[in-house]
Amino acid sequence: MPTKNDRGEKLNVSPGEAVGVVAAQSIGEPGTQMILRSFHAAGISSIITTKGLPRIIEIVDARKKPKFPMMRITLEKGYAKDYEKVRKVWRKLEEVTVSKLIKERGGFSEDLGARIMVLNLDKERLHTYEITPSQVASRLKKVSGIEIGMDGMEIRIKVNGTKDMKLTRQTFVQIRKAVVSGVPNIEKALVQEGQGGEFYITTAGSNMAAVMDIEGVDKWHIYSNDIFEVARVYGVEAARNLIAHELFETMSEEGFTVSFRHPALVADAMTHTGQIRSIGRHGVAGEKESVFARAAYEETVKHFTNAGVFGEVDRLNGVAENILIGKQISVGTGMVRLAVRKDELKKIKAEE
Amino acid sequence: MVENESRCNVFLSGKYIGYVEDGAKFAEEIRRNRRLGAVSGEINVAYNKKLNEVMINADRGRVRRPYIVVEEGVSKFTDDLKERLARREIDFNYLLRRGVVEYLDAEEEENIVAALRPEDITRETTHLEIDPAALFGATFNVSVYPEHNSVGRHAISANFIKQSQGLYATNFNSRYDARAFLLYYPQTPIVDSVAYRKLRLGQHASGQNFVVAVSTYYGYNMKDALVINKAAVDRGLGRSVFYRVYTDEERRYPGGQQDRFRIPAPTTEGYLGEHAYSKLSDDGVIEAETPVIENDVLIGKTSPPRFLEEQTSFGVVEERNRDSSTTLRAGEEGVVDSVMLTETTGATKLVKARVRSIKVPEVGDKFASRHGQKGVVALIVNQEDMPFTKDGIVPDLLLNPHSLPGRMTFGHMIETIAGKAGALSGQHFDGTAFSDTGKNRVDAYGSILEHYGFDKFGDEAMYDGRTGRQFNANIFTGVVYFNRLWHMVSLKLQVRSRGPVQILTHQPTEGKPRRGGLKFGEMERDALVGHGASLLLKDRMLEQSDKADIWVCKNCGDIGYLDHLKNVPVCMSCGGNNLERVEISYAFKLLLDEIKSLHILPKIRLKSE
Repeated sequence: MPTKNDRGEKLNVSPGEAVGVVAAQSIGEPGTQMILRSFHAAGISSIITTKGLPRIIEIVDARKKPKFPMMRITLEKGYAKDYEKVRKVWRKLEEVTVSKLIKERGGFSEDLGARIMVLNLDKERLHTYEITPSQVASRLKKVSGIEIGMDGMEIRIKVNGTKDMKLTRQTFVQIRKAVVSGVPNIEKALVQEGQGGEFYITTAGSNMAAVMDIEGVDKWHIYSNDIFEVARVYGVEAARNLIAHELFETMSEEGFTVSFRHPALVADAMTHTGQIRSIGRHGVAGEKESVFARAAYEETVKHFTNAGVFGEVDRLNGVAENILIGKQISVGTGMVRLAVRKDELKKIKAEE
Repeated sequence: MVENESRCNVFLSGKYIGYVEDGAKFAEEIRRNRRLGAVSGEINVAYNKKLNEVMINADRGRVRRPYIVVEEGVSKFTDDLKERLARREIDFNYLLRRGVVEYLDAEEEENIVAALRPEDITRETTHLEIDPAALFGATFNVSVYPEHNSVGRHAISANFIKQSQGLYATNFNSRYDARAFLLYYPQTPIVDSVAYRKLRLGQHASGQNFVVAVSTYYGYNMKDALVINKAAVDRGLGRSVFYRVYTDEERRYPGGQQDRFRIPAPTTEGYLGEHAYSKLSDDGVIEAETPVIENDVLIGKTSPPRFLEEQTSFGVVEERNRDSSTTLRAGEEGVVDSVMLTETTGATKLVKARVRSIKVPEVGDKFASRHGQKGVVALIVNQEDMPFTKDGIVPDLLLNPHSLPGRMTFGHMIETIAGKAGALSGQHFDGTAFSDTGKNRVDAYGSILEHYGFDKFGDEAMYDGRTGRQFNANIFTGVVYFNRLWHMVSLKLQVRSRGPVQILTHQPTEGKPRRGGLKFGEMERDALVGHGASLLLKDRMLEQSDKADIWVCKNCGDIGYLDHLKNVPVCMSCGGNNLERVEISYAFKLLLDEIKSLHILPKIRLKSE
């Protein structure tokens, strides 16, 4: 019976195993079966994320911002089970702009000539976010060049700073977009109950740096699907883990089981330089050492002309270039070489 | 256009022409006049309630179908008219003129309530189908029992019927179709339909009535494979002739030169050797009834050289014609059926040679019933090894039972019983859609079968031909009309071990006519890399493809050549003789050459292993 150590050793890949190709095939084959659809079940109490093949493409292409950024915030011990405390954290999260607080119909009126804007606050909306009209007003005081008058639920704004109509209009827009409370970029937050009665919060939109500072948030357990943000806040190694995990999870969600080592290898290939590179011609494939390998992939002419201009040398170390010229590739059985100890050989010859 | 809600806009062939107060009434008025003959019967009018618009269509290209007009819940096609039509006193056009029948287009159909059968007519009904089968259209109605099959099978079946071999034209003997198939003994189906008879397809039958047993045979008819009876094949089952016409003409070229039909002289460029031309007669064209095999020349022809004035070392311009003969296709054989000599409109000689070959059904040939049930012959069994019934009936074909439930082709099963009943009683049956209920049909055929001492559901006790033992289960047996389709192995089979290569890349050619190989593509390459099978990969990509030996200069890195006279390698760049033989793919050498043609000099640096 194998001991624990033997089993671990069995998991080692053999020398010369073409791990890259195997990883590519292991992810690519189920990819062909995934349906290219990006529609989502329209539900109120859920956060939308990209799923399936579109998400995989998004990760592999190393897009700067995911189409639907999302966070999962775990709370500290004292908070997690107390709904009221969780609500308090939640209130600090969601980004509330002025336009979210005014009435849906007739929430504001503008007079560009007189440079007057009237905001009509909605009582119910103020209540859900627990914001008072004076809070809104005090936030608006930060906007320069305006004069504020309050009358119950009505806020009258007069622009004094300029007489230019265009600038006035910009100010009006600025006022409506002004964030009254919450974390910037977090469009929506939801409290959800996990197993064991512990609450956690999911958000649409991601801003890890800001969320970390909120009291009650367990800063060691914040999850975001924004790879570049994770790289900024926690570093590339975290981003590498995220890439591998996101790839693995997206495939698992679609019902495809892949060994974690394949997505992990992809993540390594994308991040080992310290930068996040995409897989295509602008990233990993485009930065290969061999001229022939790059030319064989995409933009053949570009690579050959550059090679000609700069006098590049192809050392024929990779797989693609060796297939091209017809040499044995140094993968698998092809990487084994016969070594001869010349001194020993001389001895044999001498004996003869 | 009037944007008033109460007013109804009217469009003629898509163009706005005005408005009316009540669109529905207006449309009805036009229809009434059309039925009276005051308005052309080619006009269709539709009232769109949602948009409150009337569309009058008189443009071309509308697909229209006829309906019987129903007014006040009474069909205008009265019994009296029916009788007179049966007596041929009146015809269809009479009914059209009288407004009994009218053609509707897709748009007007939105306004009607059509009944499928006369008994379905209610107060709301405005139209009646001429026949319930009409909903399938002309093509599907050729098939039998279409109402018992799933729609998908119909589409598949329609494709198969197009591919079936039969008597495609009665003047086939004087025709020179590029390719043609003729079935040896085409039969009229035992079960047919009204449309089939009306189109007189029985006179151009494209199939035969096969005795079919729904049974397995030692796994030889798994999936869609078929097992057929060798004795039946020997008797002519599914046997057909394949004609292929080879055409060539004497083309004229600028400069007064022209092609010539003749046996090329041995000095001709591209001369195929004396043997290839041995079957030609003096005029350079083959004689009828000559047996021919692949690469035999059918039409000998020479063409003027492509480039003029190729000077020889003596300074004399030598006219060397090219051979441009037509040869029999690779992998084919047959007998020259007939040869035709004529002229084109451009007054050049034109030759057409028709080659015939007999195609006996063999393993790999394709058959299909009229219900989208196709299969490929996987085994031809000697009659004595086939299952047989107590009467000694041996089926022509064994169909796998698994092909029936999943595809839901009940029509196929009804045809099996009907065909059997028809064969026993010597009568044809009608399988027109909706002409009767399935139960009535099965009952009627069942009673005939019982009358002849068979099981009414078509099951029969059968005996294993190999052991002589009776099978535990009774086997569903009957007669089904099968078509032989023109996908045959003999026209597709292709092999290559060595063969021609492309001039440019030195890689093997592609495709059957060029005796090509099968592509070992990128994904296949990746699979070998993934397995780490680098020596197998090298074999595929290099040894079996475009291996080339080149000489590389150790001084300057350029490619040189071997001077065979002195047996010394030479570098043309630096003039040195210090070169090394290197094995590379010709494609790479070509790439280097192409880069050189762009005034970039690639150099190869060698490293000793």
